[in-house]
Amino acid sequence: MTSICIYFEVHQPFRLNRFSVFNIGVNENNKLNYFNRELNQEIFEKVARKCYLPTNQLLLDLINKHNGKFRISFSITGTFVEYCEQHAPSVIESFKELFKTGCVDLIEETYFHSLSSLYDDLDEFEEQVKMHQNMINNVFNYRPKIFRNTEAIYDNRIAKKVEEMGYKGIITEGTEKILHWRSPNYVYKAKNTNLKVLLRNYNLSDDVGFRFSAQNWNGFPLTADKYANWMAKTDGNLINLFMDYETFGEHQWTETGIFDFLDHLPGEILKHNHLDFVTVSEAIDKYEVMGEIDVPWAISWADEDRDVSTWLGNDMQIACFNELKNIGEKLKNTGNQDLINIWRKLQTSDHLYYVSTKGFKDGAVHAYFSHYDNPYDGFINYMNILQDLKQKII
Amino acid sequence: MKIAMIGWEYPPFKAGGLATHCYGLTRSLSDKNIDIDFYMPKTKQKVVSDKKNLIIKEIGETDIFPYDRPEDKELAGHFFESVYRYNDLILEKVKGNYDLIHCHDWLTMKAGIKLKDKLGIPLILSVHSTEYDRSGWLNPNQWFIDIEKEGMEKADKIIAVSHFTKRVIVEKYGINPNKISVIHNAVYPLGTDKKKNIVLFLGRLTIQKGPEFFLMAARKVLDYNQDTQFVVAGTGEMLPTLIDKAVDLGISNKVIFTGLLTEEEVKHIYRISSVYIMPSVSEPFGITALEAISAGTPTIVSKTAGVAEAFNNCLKVDFWDIDEMANKIISLMKYGPLNKTITTEGMQEINLFTWERVAEKTISVYRGVT
Repeated sequence: MTSICIYFEVHQPFRLNRFSVFNIGVNENNKLNYFNRELNQEIFEKVARKCYLPTNQLLLDLINKHNGKFRISFSITGTFVEYCEQHAPSVIESFKELFKTGCVDLIEETYFHSLSSLYDDLDEFEEQVKMHQNMINNVFNYRPKIFRNTEAIYDNRIAKKVEEMGYKGIITEGTEKILHWRSPNYVYKAKNTNLKVLLRNYNLSDDVGFRFSAQNWNGFPLTADKYANWMAKTDGNLINLFMDYETFGEHQWTETGIFDFLDHLPGEILKHNHLDFVTVSEAIDKYEVMGEIDVPWAISWADEDRDVSTWLGNDMQIACFNELKNIGEKLKNTGNQDLINIWRKLQTSDHLYYVSTKGFKDGAVHAYFSHYDNPYDGFINYMNILQDLKQKII
Repeated sequence: MKIAMIGWEYPPFKAGGLATHCYGLTRSLSDKNIDIDFYMPKTKQKVVSDKKNLIIKEIGETDIFPYDRPEDKELAGHFFESVYRYNDLILEKVKGNYDLIHCHDWLTMKAGIKLKDKLGIPLILSVHSTEYDRSGWLNPNQWFIDIEKEGMEKADKIIAVSHFTKRVIVEKYGINPNKISVIHNAVYPLGTDKKKNIVLFLGRLTIQKGPEFFLMAARKVLDYNQDTQFVVAGTGEMLPTLIDKAVDLGISNKVIFTGLLTEEEVKHIYRISSVYIMPSVSEPFGITALEAISAGTPTIVSKTAGVAEAFNNCLKVDFWDIDEMANKIISLMKYGPLNKTITTEGMQEINLFTWERVAEKTISVYRGVT
């Protein structure tokens, strides 16, 4: 038996307003105006219409159609849920509907989809995980058992901390950097812990997430039966297909046939008697550990490099990251909850992603997701805001 | 392959990017075994070539420059005659066995068209700017437009310096896009020097180049930080107006007008400046931006400039957006990591902009007609 474990990341950042050096330290008594409410609402409503609502409906239909055999998992960020509450309550309702079927599992992460796991001490990280835990408890009345850090950032230190916080499993990238000759299609264990590790099969995941509509790819066009056949021929206990939820209808438009593909996928997979579906919690319970992974330096599932250079790859990103950390230390002493909340929203990793100056291949992907003309504009805007916030606490 | 290239300026004599382009292009072409006779007006300084298959042919004197306007006082009354007279001279002097003629911009276009018929060989036309650019899109002169349009129609192939310029050629001159190739400009890297607190404008002081926006941004920057020096390098019809404007803005003690600089002085000022700004209202390419970047100077260019579509590691603004221009100048001075990253990445990217690449692409255009 080989199990298919499908998991979607659901996230939206609070994009920033244009903020020039001339705005720094001005309007001291007014409310801070860092986040671009109009742009954020516009993007959220567009993605809800193109992706979240139709995909949730389709998944609900598929779960009902297959009598509990089609099973999936989600990680939903705190910032995303805030969007739903502000702009589209129907979206969060549709996630609740899915969860009620009993065929859907939820995954823990930091509330703000932040890089707090890379700070010198992990207190802030732990607080943000607890905020996410509370949010999931309030909205879904559930306590996740599996953890996935922001963009699957992972190292031994993070794994240790996640185990201490009571989680049974963690998700990261099935990169050769840590696996060498070994297959991602088994359950592993984090070094010096009993924490189980699920590794993303990036080839099969990216076939859908990145390559689905690439006409120059030799797998094009990708149909559900072809894809199911590939999986039927794959060795191992478990195939972890992890991708952005926005793949459906947003990164891959409706016209590419992505919804037809998804519609037929469970049926085509279940035609093979040795394939079934599991949620992330079931995967951990069902399969024995086949080996250990040792990750002294942080990896992630981002870009070709599969490390943290996506967010900390140049001097500008490192300067922003350090500034953000330093502000936090001072800010926490003030106990000003409003400012702390704003500071946390600024920690969302997307703000640093926009400042990446990586080469043209990944650069094109970065540009697709960015609302700035280039990384330099992203830096100026973000750094100006950090300077303003810093002035507020002195 | 042997070509007759008809130009207007060539280092050491130069008034603009055309000379820089012709110099880089002809030398790289000659390295690729293309024989070139380069025809140009006689100037005060003797122009020479050290390459056997690149011959500079001076064909008599003229008092016209490619950036002159009929309304310029010094040429009052005889502008059009001068142009016609020089074109007739070219027609008479260009002789030999050539595979094609390659012309640059409006000034020699009439001669190019006639030579094409006379010698029965193809005509290639490089468009470095159009009348719309030079007039800053205000009151373009129909006389130039007619000449340009005729040349573009008669040319077998057109080389545009940017997609921006290609669009102008298609939309304003009604030319078939299939006969236009885009070849972005290049630069011989200048190398850097110890930086001073200088923000630089360098170019002809005409409406096209947007120098008044530079002064207005300077005012904003100086409100924020008094320790910055602004330099306006170059000369042109707007010089007196700009000096008045600096006085009106109360920044005359912070702005230096250098007048026309020698080539060595230009290189020096690029190398010691901390920020270069090219706020052009209309800029087909903007070779000066590449020069500044190659001197390790972080550069801010107009969003619509040709260079903005080709080059990643520079900052881009709308030329009229003074606040944003000032925001970017201050940020470049204030944030070391920004300055360092854009300089390092820019100096790497500049290595892709070689004249060898321009020559290769130009040769493939030549091959398409011979």
